[in-house]
Amino acid sequence: MSSIRRRLLLWLLSGLALAVVAAGARMYTQTLAEANDLFDYHLRQMAASLPNDAFGPLPPSSSNALKIEDGLVVQIWDRNGLELYFSRPASKLPQRAELGFSTVDTPHGSWRVFSALERNNVVQVAQPMSVRRDLAAGMALRALVPLLLLLPVLGILIWLTIGRGLQPLERMAEALDRRTPDSLDALPLDGLPNEIRPLVQAVNDLLGRLARALESQKAFVADAAHELRTPLTAVQLQIQLAQRAKTAEEREAAFAQLKRGQSRAAHLVQQLLTLARQEPGVAPQPHSAVDLSEAVRLVVSEHAPLAADKEINLGLSHEEQARISGDFDALRVMLGNLVDNAIRYTPAGGTVDVALRLRDRNAVIEISDTGPGIPQEDRARVFDRFYRREATHVPGSGLGLAIVKNIADRHHATILLEHRTPGPGLRVSVTFPPAPA
Amino acid sequence: MRLLLVEDDTMIGESVRIGLQQDGFAVDWVQDGRAAELALETNSYDTLLLDLGLPRKSGLDVLAALRRRGDAIPVLILTARDAVADRVQGLDTGADDYLVKPFDLDELSARVRALLRRKAGRAGPVIQIGALTINPATHEVSLDGKPIALSAREFALIHALAARPGVVFSRAQLEEKLYGWGHEVESNTVEVYVHSLRRKLGAGFIRNVRGVGYMVPKRI
Repeated sequence: MSSIRRRLLLWLLSGLALAVVAAGARMYTQTLAEANDLFDYHLRQMAASLPNDAFGPLPPSSSNALKIEDGLVVQIWDRNGLELYFSRPASKLPQRAELGFSTVDTPHGSWRVFSALERNNVVQVAQPMSVRRDLAAGMALRALVPLLLLLPVLGILIWLTIGRGLQPLERMAEALDRRTPDSLDALPLDGLPNEIRPLVQAVNDLLGRLARALESQKAFVADAAHELRTPLTAVQLQIQLAQRAKTAEEREAAFAQLKRGQSRAAHLVQQLLTLARQEPGVAPQPHSAVDLSEAVRLVVSEHAPLAADKEINLGLSHEEQARISGDFDALRVMLGNLVDNAIRYTPAGGTVDVALRLRDRNAVIEISDTGPGIPQEDRARVFDRFYRREATHVPGSGLGLAIVKNIADRHHATILLEHRTPGPGLRVSVTFPPAPA
Repeated sequence: MRLLLVEDDTMIGESVRIGLQQDGFAVDWVQDGRAAELALETNSYDTLLLDLGLPRKSGLDVLAALRRRGDAIPVLILTARDAVADRVQGLDTGADDYLVKPFDLDELSARVRALLRRKAGRAGPVIQIGALTINPATHEVSLDGKPIALSAREFALIHALAARPGVVFSRAQLEEKLYGWGHEVESNTVEVYVHSLRRKLGAGFIRNVRGVGYMVPKRI
């Protein structure tokens, strides 16, 4: 049973019922003890108040001189054991030699007996214990009945109170139910009980995180659509030019343009996909031990033909053994983008150096070029999606460094852009924390 | 008719330039806002085709500055920003038309022609001067209903003159309308084309205003 209301009701009512029973038991024993004292006193008084001279043998029926209460039995013997008086011959009690109080068990239940020596006669007054027990039980019951009657009333009160207390939860559930997927503003905290507040607070925090994630996704899609428009516009125009072409040369030129436009669009789509895969929130590839020197060698050799085309001297200038825990394919994309950028922005005849070093147990990959570098004020923004520095005539999607940043973040690596020394040029350093042992 | 195209994307700019040239326009192409302002100051254009997201100076800033100076050149915005608010802002800043990327070359040409028509104060698509009919969309010229075959440059010249009848154009102005940047203009080119046009259309259509230039009279 997982209803808080029912569980609370059950436990509270059970507890109350137990308390009532315990109180009844206590009242019974207490009343019994008091009744014992009282009746014992009564017995003693009775014995003392019997008429002194009346102890002739009397027929029991004519005992009107003796006012004997219900259940009381009076027996009188003389010193010689001769029975002088029995108030109830039918329930005759054994003569007790012992004076004072005693409790006697008989086949008719237990009796309380008081024996006293009055002149030369033994007076014995007795009373069944059941009288006292009935009295105590009656008292206890009379006290308990109203309490027992109160139990259902309490139950209803508890039911209603808990219901009221849980109402904010129901209201919250309804409010959440009515929401559309994109209404992620915080739930109101006013008037909430302290017990529910942390839950709502946590829900609000989650909603906030969701809203931010959704916002960034929306922005990404909008940016992506916007950015795709440019290459698609180019392709459309190039197609039209090809259609209009009248001579073979015109057609050939138009198709060559079209081919370039198409590969630019395809490149952008590829970069967008890569970026989307590396976005925070996407299930990451499991990390495994990566040999960074292997990754660096692979990336440098992959880019050798491009460098050769541009007459750029690309090479591995320094290499140490470094292993980290990471996603090899992602790291390869990241290093590839950095090396690709370096080659693109470096004028023909320049140099691009890739180095892998160990510094204080950190693996550091450095990529330096002899290009124009990036001015200080632009260094933070170049990692933004679709940000392209003004006056750059190098074609690109504006996504390369955003991809680099995402992958670096996933590996807890830091990226530093600085002037190459000696300049001019850019040096990009990617510093990986030591792999956890 | 000479157009200034401001478009930072190399591929789009190149394609638009080629396409508009095929449609008979002289096209100058620059790739940033500052270069656009420089070109506007140094040359006279019949229409400005303006991208909004430009390096160095945004298209809207270029447009606003242009209108502040009181320049009434027809402006067609070419942009990827398609939100209604963007269009409204573009038009309210002083643009005459707004075309969202990706767009069609033929539509672009047609819109440019419409702008030129409006600028010349005409509503109809065809220029009619006496017995001479000029259709800028099809490049067809006819005299008394009979089609006349003109070369692209001849058409550009008669189109430029006939678009604003009664206005005298200097030789330099006409050269500007015939050629974009990067074309070598020979010294007597305009005279050569005027001569051949007179031969095909008759002498009355192009008048020589001595010492000033040429014009097409309003009535013949």
